[in-house]
Amino acid sequence: MSLKKFSELFGDLDSINSTNNKIEVLKRYFLSNEPIDNSWAIYLLTGKSNKRFISGRYLKNIFSQIYEYPQWLIDTCYLKVGDSAEVITLLLKNKTTSRNKKLSNISLNELLSKTIPELSKLNEEEKNLQIKNIWERLPEDYHLIFNKILTGTFRVGVSIGLITKSISKLINIDEEIISHRLMGNFNPSIDSYEFLINKNINLQELNSKPFPFLLANNIEDKIFNHSINEFQFEWKYDGIRMQLIKRSGNVSLWTRGQELVNESFPELVEKMSHIKDDFVLDGELLVWNYKEQIAFDFSLLQKRINRKSPTISIQIKYPIIFIAYDLLEINGRDIREIKLENRRIELEKYFSKWQNNTEKNISDIFKICDLIFPKDWPNALTYKEKSRENNTEGLIIKKKTSIYSSGRRKGIWWKYKVDPMQLDAVLIYAKGGSGRRAGLYTDYSFALWKDQELIKFASAYSGLTNIEIKELDKWIRKNTIEKFGPVRSLKPEMVFEISFEKIQISKRHKSGIAVRFPRITKWRKDKKINDADSLENAYELMKKIS
Amino acid sequence: MRTKQEYLIRYKDGNLYCELADIWIDPSKPVKKALITHAHFDHFTFGCEEYLSTKETAILLKERVGDNIKIKTFEYGEEFKINGINISFHPSGHILGSSQIRFIFAEEKWLISGDFKLQKDETCKQYEIVKTDYLISECTFGLPIFKWDESNKIANDISKWITNSPEKTSLLFCYSLGKAQRLLNEISKTNFKGNIYSNGSIHKINNSYRELGIDIKDTIKIENKKKIDELKGSLILLPPSLSKGYYLKNFKNIQTAFASGWMSIRALRKRSGYDKGFPISDHADWDGILEVVKKSEAKNVFFHHGDSEALTKYLVEEESINVLLFDK
Repeated sequence: MSLKKFSELFGDLDSINSTNNKIEVLKRYFLSNEPIDNSWAIYLLTGKSNKRFISGRYLKNIFSQIYEYPQWLIDTCYLKVGDSAEVITLLLKNKTTSRNKKLSNISLNELLSKTIPELSKLNEEEKNLQIKNIWERLPEDYHLIFNKILTGTFRVGVSIGLITKSISKLINIDEEIISHRLMGNFNPSIDSYEFLINKNINLQELNSKPFPFLLANNIEDKIFNHSINEFQFEWKYDGIRMQLIKRSGNVSLWTRGQELVNESFPELVEKMSHIKDDFVLDGELLVWNYKEQIAFDFSLLQKRINRKSPTISIQIKYPIIFIAYDLLEINGRDIREIKLENRRIELEKYFSKWQNNTEKNISDIFKICDLIFPKDWPNALTYKEKSRENNTEGLIIKKKTSIYSSGRRKGIWWKYKVDPMQLDAVLIYAKGGSGRRAGLYTDYSFALWKDQELIKFASAYSGLTNIEIKELDKWIRKNTIEKFGPVRSLKPEMVFEISFEKIQISKRHKSGIAVRFPRITKWRKDKKINDADSLENAYELMKKIS
Repeated sequence: MRTKQEYLIRYKDGNLYCELADIWIDPSKPVKKALITHAHFDHFTFGCEEYLSTKETAILLKERVGDNIKIKTFEYGEEFKINGINISFHPSGHILGSSQIRFIFAEEKWLISGDFKLQKDETCKQYEIVKTDYLISECTFGLPIFKWDESNKIANDISKWITNSPEKTSLLFCYSLGKAQRLLNEISKTNFKGNIYSNGSIHKINNSYRELGIDIKDTIKIENKKKIDELKGSLILLPPSLSKGYYLKNFKNIQTAFASGWMSIRALRKRSGYDKGFPISDHADWDGILEVVKKSEAKNVFFHHGDSEALTKYLVEEESINVLLFDK
């Protein structure tokens, strides 16, 4: 029965907007199902590490082959729907004529631990046949779930936070404990579910897992009324936020996205394992310019992130550093409830001890973050403005008396970012969005003037309100010059203010520049295309900053 | 081959026009003579000197816009002549009184489908297959992802949706003319036996339907200061225009849904802002459009009211049917 129940759960969660109701529905589901199925449900709903068994393209191909369906028609439908699994589900309707719905009682566990993994062992022809078989024997209502699991695109607007809250309510245990238990990889099994709902808290079992990360909020004006002495100031680095854990001699590196990334940064793991104490550090991983003692651009870090087991020459070419902000646990003692100012003292104390007493030199890969001491708020502002000079994004402001709780708690940490850079640019291309934005043109490309020509310089997806998106979509359909597949070239007429964080030379782009985090900050209906900025303006901006 | 100017019916100023009879079909601006396929407002404009429609369409229109319009009415199938052209209305199954319009001139037949559906709907006459040489068809849902379920299945889903939340007031948004009455008819056959309310405009149209001999359940007209407790567990039918803004503040503890063909697509459902979507439409789905194209035996097909690219390519490539484009 449980695939049926899971299918209903999916439908319910998909049509409920209220968080409280979602939690109720989840609680009810967990209570009425087998632990193993609950475990799979959590695995699917949190979408943490869902495996993709076949690609969306492949799914569309199989369907096209089996039912002799024109590929172009599937692609046209995709533009409207924005999700391969859903397109195929809709097209499958009334197509599976077999009355033999043998799989109507299949359990979630059987589907996920047996039926689907077994597909990987088949050759292509057998695989296609088997998928057809499953489609034929599975009741129509379950097609969407099956297709989504196959393509690894299971997302229903249920966050880890929501699962955390439901479990916490279910067993009456603090959310933070549940959140900790859910950290890292979640391997669906009876044990992992029973561990999750265990009412006895056993810290030993949480051994290799990171603590829930504490996140900074945007700056609030009200903090300027407080004395500057209440706060600790740090630079806001643009790297990968990480917890570096050493427990029982083992080092693990966890990103904020809860990925274990030891394999990408073996030199860090190796060096840190020489430290004698056990600890949990919260910090940032960066590619570091050791000569000037500042961070290199994020783009260099990207060259390291996705590369497992990097060669020595890569390690030398892109030297990394871990900058610790905070000490959360020391030799098995959880110190998150100690005030920040005291944790900082501990951090400094241990850091100097490690520097002196570790047999290997660790200072070429690990340091603690420098603090900044502005005299007053205007002085803090000056620091913030200078942050581009050392390749940081601004300041992080932390309340000295705060404890390390989890999530984006208000009134503890703030980010005070440099104002973004801006240019006014002309909309020249639009592309259909996917997922929630399917059927609308929501991916835009913008251009700047070079003499009499408009040269593309950035693409942006975010920043417009839903109403603006609809209005612009209408305009795009009426002002298309040419269509190339999903992309439309547009009459140059609309001007938008584009904000971004960084601007640098790029040989890969025709414009010769690349910007980071471009986003739309204003629809400049008041401007004509001749009022838009030129590439020269962009180069000037670049000079001003460097 | 004839030039587009020489077709009996063509596009002029964004509207379908027959020059020989000097008559327009569902014009969007005032003209001398206008054929009206059905009483939805996007097919009607004020200020025409004369309207021609079925009897039911005329009554519904007058109920909605007042008696101050001149309408000449015809029975389904009744032929009349204008300037040598034989014209007749035929049921299109869209809403009560809705029609296809056929033109015959010099042994050449033209058929304008109007808005149509093939699905069974007890609140209006079933779509009639009409043979033609030229077909002008709507294609609102011209993609194969649109496949309608039987209306009783949707009605049962709606019934479950209401009865599963007995502590809530269920607001179902739908078009006031046609969809509301069809839903009312279907829902009254389900297990849901609670009260059904509607706003003024839907209530008024329900009465007109009943006067025209369509047996649908009576709804209670919703009063602004209705006691909230009374509404618990009941269904309220409302037009989509009331879904935004402060009207909803009249109610407490509600769940909302929208009944429309577009709700088949999850992204559109999510974006619509309603809690739930019930995919039910008074237009034809993909298979419905194809069926009409084939059964009408048309050699030449035009599409309007929708995205016709996929349909066109499909008919030309897979079915070898000649699809023509309007010179708009």
